[in-house]
Parts: sequence; C-alpha cells; structure tokens
Amino acid sequence: MNYKLSKIFVIVWASFICLLANAQLRIEVTEGTKDPIRIAVAPMAWNIDSPASHYIHSIVSSDLSTFGEFEAIGTDKMLSLPKTEADVYYRDWAILKVDYLIVGSASESNKGGYLELNYSILDVVRKRAIHRARVIGQESELEALAHNVSDRIYREINGISGIFSTRIAYINREGISKGNYYLRFCDINGNNDQIVLTSKEPIMSPDWSSDGTKLAYVSFEEGTSRIYIQDLFSGERKALRLEEGINSSPTWNPKKEELIAVLSKKGNPDIYSYDFRRDRWKQLTSHYGIDTEPDWSPEGNKFLFTSNRSGTPQIYEMNISKNTIRRKTFIGDYNARARYTPDGKYFVFVHRKDGDFHIAVQNIKTNKIRILTNTQLDESPTISPNGNLVLYATKSGTKDILSGITIDGRTKFSLPTISGEVRDPSWSPLFK
Amino acid sequence: MNLYQEFLIIAGIICGLAGCASTSDEMATATKAASVQSSEVTNSSSIMSDTNIYFEYDKSDLSMDASSQIRSLANALKSNNSSKITIEGHCDERGTREYNLALGERRANSVKDLLILNGVNSKRIRTVSYGEEKPAVSGSNESAWSKNRRAIVKVY
Repeated sequence: MNYKLSKIFVIVWASFICLLANAQLRIEVTEGTKDPIRIAVAPMAWNIDSPASHYIHSIVSSDLSTFGEFEAIGTDKMLSLPKTEADVYYRDWAILKVDYLIVGSASESNKGGYLELNYSILDVVRKRAIHRARVIGQESELEALAHNVSDRIYREINGISGIFSTRIAYINREGISKGNYYLRFCDINGNNDQIVLTSKEPIMSPDWSSDGTKLAYVSFEEGTSRIYIQDLFSGERKALRLEEGINSSPTWNPKKEELIAVLSKKGNPDIYSYDFRRDRWKQLTSHYGIDTEPDWSPEGNKFLFTSNRSGTPQIYEMNISKNTIRRKTFIGDYNARARYTPDGKYFVFVHRKDGDFHIAVQNIKTNKIRILTNTQLDESPTISPNGNLVLYATKSGTKDILSGITIDGRTKFSLPTISGEVRDPSWSPLFK
Repeated sequence: MNLYQEFLIIAGIICGLAGCASTSDEMATATKAASVQSSEVTNSSSIMSDTNIYFEYDKSDLSMDASSQIRSLANALKSNNSSKITIEGHCDERGTREYNLALGERRANSVKDLLILNGVNSKRIRTVSYGEEKPAVSGSNESAWSKNRRAIVKVY
C-alpha cells in the first residue's frame, strides 16, 4: 500500500462513515411503478490508484433506483463485468432483461487533483451506444461527481434532467412535539445533512434562492414571526425589516433578486414585495380576507396565493404587470398553498375532500384536478426542479414525516427519519 | 495477511474515523449554522394564570362562553392596570401551516378586540400567532384538535 493509495483510502472511508452517520432522511420506495426501467451499472475500470472503484457505480446505481423509476441490477447478478464497450456481450444483459447498461472508466485528468470519467450508455435491445460522455471532477468530490453522472444518465434515458445533485431543506424537531427546532438541508439520498439554524422557538417555511446559495425562512426566535435570509456558505444571516403582526411565507423570484412574503401590519395578511436596497416592503395585494402562501411562476411575472376572500381558502393568481387577480380553484372548500410546476403548466396544492387533506395537481389551462395522495393530513408540497416529483409533509401516527410521489402518481416513496419530526420540505433548484 | 498489513488496515480505519471528524468540521465551516437564544418573554413573572379560549374549526369568532370568559377577564385586568398582556393565537394541525398562522392571528385579534371593547387599554396588549406550530397536545383526533384551537391570554 503506497502513501497515495492509503491517503485516498482514508478520504473515501472518512466520507463514507460521515455520510452514513449524518444521514437524517432516507428515501424508501413504498409503491413502485409496475414496469421500472432495468439498468446495470458495471463497476468502472479504474486506471488510477484508488479503491474508489467500488464507489461511483454503486452511487449511480443507488441514485437511479431512488424513486423506483429504475431498477438497478446488483454486481453479484452480473454475468460479466465489461470495462469498455468492446467488452460487452449483449446476450449477457439480454438474459437479465436489462434495458440499459452503463460501462465506463476513470483516469487521472491532465489537471492535477482531477479525474476524468468516460462512460457509455448502451441500449441492450438495439445493441448500441445511445450516449457517450466524459465528466471531469475533483478527486475529493467523488460523490458529487457520481451524482452528476446519475443526472446525465437520467436525462439521456428519461428526457428530463435528473435531480440527484439537488438538495432538500426541511424543518426538524428533536422529539415529537418537544425539543429544539432545526432548519437543515441534505442531499437527495440523505447524505451531507447540515444544520442551518437551531432554535428553541418554531422555524417555518424555508425557501431556496434561485441560485441555491441562500435560504429564506421564518423564525420565532424573537418571540414573534420574522423573515430571515441566510447564506449557506458564509453563514451570514440577514433579518428582513420586521413589521407588526405576521411576517411569513417568503418566496424568491426565480428570475431576479426579489422576494415576496406575507405581512399583516395593516390588520390583514396581504402579499408584499421586499425591496433589498431600501429594506422596505411594498404592498401587492389588499383585501380584508387572508392572503397568504405566495409562489412565483417560473417566469417570475405572476404568483399564486391562497385567499379566503370568497369565504373559503382558494387559490388565486396575480399578474404583476397587469395588476389582475384571478381565482384558479373552484372544486372543494379548502384549496391552499399552491406551487407551480417548473413548466408553469400545472400547480400542486393542498385540497380537502371529505374532510381529508390531500395533495392534488391542477392543469392551469383546463382547471382539471387530479388528487395524488390518499392520506389524511398532507401539506407543504414542494416540486423537484425537473417537475417529476412532489415531496410533502404528512403524519405517521402522531409523528410529522415527509412522503413523496411522482407527479404521474405511479411511484410513492417515504422518507423515514432517525429521530424526531420532519416537516416543511423545500426542494432546491438545479445547481449549475 | 501479515501483521504489518493488518496494522495498516487498522490504522486506515482509525485514520478514517479521525478523518471523519475533520470532514465533519469542514462541513460545519462550509455551512455556518446559526444558533439562536429565544428572547420570548417567559412565564416566570406571570401574575395571573393563563386563560385559554377555544375556537371552532377554521373559525376565529368567539362563542357565547368565550365572550363571557373574556368579559370577566377584562374586569380583572382593569383592576390590575400596570400588567402587560400577551395573546397567543393557535390552530389545530389541519390545513396548511402558513394559512393557519393567519388564522391564529385572527383568533388572537378577536380576543384582543373584545378586551379593548370591555375597557382594557390597547397599549397593554401584544398579540402573536403561532399557527399550528405549538400544539397544546399531540394527536390527530377531535379531542386533541379542540384543545389546540385556542388563544392564550398571558398576563405579566
């Protein structure tokens, strides 16, 4: 064992142990699609000194199987372990009913400290490569590199971006209805869980800035609700101008540095826009009913919000430039906290039916709704940046937990936690 | 496996664990967490016991019972002019968190308005809504929910 090898060994070991120890959330598929795409990720040829050869293909396999859309064949079932396209006997994979095979190699990049991954996606039925790619990344960030490869494979096969490099922010409480509140975030697979804020008082409504570097949230640490913005890398925290009454529901504009939120300083909760330069709030909606839970459209020119101006909570949409407000929901007496899908064609929201609160999706053009969940106390939906998955908060007994579902309703998954309660999830944007 | 190799592996594991600690440290610096001390007024200086006023589901109007409860509370508060009053608004877990924050404020305001109507100086009163964030009891049934839909009047 030479010095270099042992050093890499230590790093890989270290990160592995930490990742396992830090994991707070784990995604478990509870109801899979009947027909998952079968893939096989062969161990990569490792042309440099590193035991990490056991690492990348297993992360890619596990990433792709996370949401049950793919079923990855374990290396123990593989009949051969090809390292290059030339090594592949398609029959070996056809027997295993594999749809796509991934083969690849890792080598030292010309740039010091970097490695180069070359991989091919092979269509087993057509017996040919459908994609060949090279990814270069730091040796010290193998995990991120593996997620990047997973994202690319997902996109090649499914036609939309993978989300294995994104993150989830959430609120965690130490015990059931007791203990400290934490604002945390972690990778999709639960790894790299990090605490952003610890408080004895409630924390609510985390929302990612469009570049994924900051979180806006509500904290009660001063004995009243107040909106904060925290930079996740420097830790620097800014408290936005505090107004009397409620200060809640911060939402970043995806297109520019603008944040809207809810204030009740005039006696009723209305939507306001925050002026970063002058630390001031500008009123956008004005009604004696409750206006709350805004969400920006992907283009950043409209927002959805909940209002009980008709007598019951319903979803409305405000067009900023035209200064118009339109009611969007008409079915049921409780429709709230809508979130646009990234293509702007649908919104996902909380819908009450027969006394139970479900997550539903509505087509914005046709107003047609589809109920996605069948549990009773579902809330706080957040959508993956590829538009494919919905994560939401629900209950398991008396405990707050997170659950998820693909937007087509075919795959359900849960995120069991090691300790305490979990609520208020917020999915990050795609990191560039 | 000879003794030397074995030593290397064990050393590797130990280093791995040590490396873990340092990796965690790096993560901690990568994301600087904030920890805050609560500055909420504590109950230690409370001069009267808290009054709980209960509400119907998704409602912020006061029942007959609640109104008479608040009227007698107003009389007690008027005879104790120097005390400060905090009214907390709370909701049960049903419905969305942010909407419930607004509903909790409505409940606190209903109580505040009736206290003022009955002669309590508005300057003494502060309201705060916690929505569904601070339930009195846990449980997803009507018995728990009815105890959580409340306003709490605290006098200091």
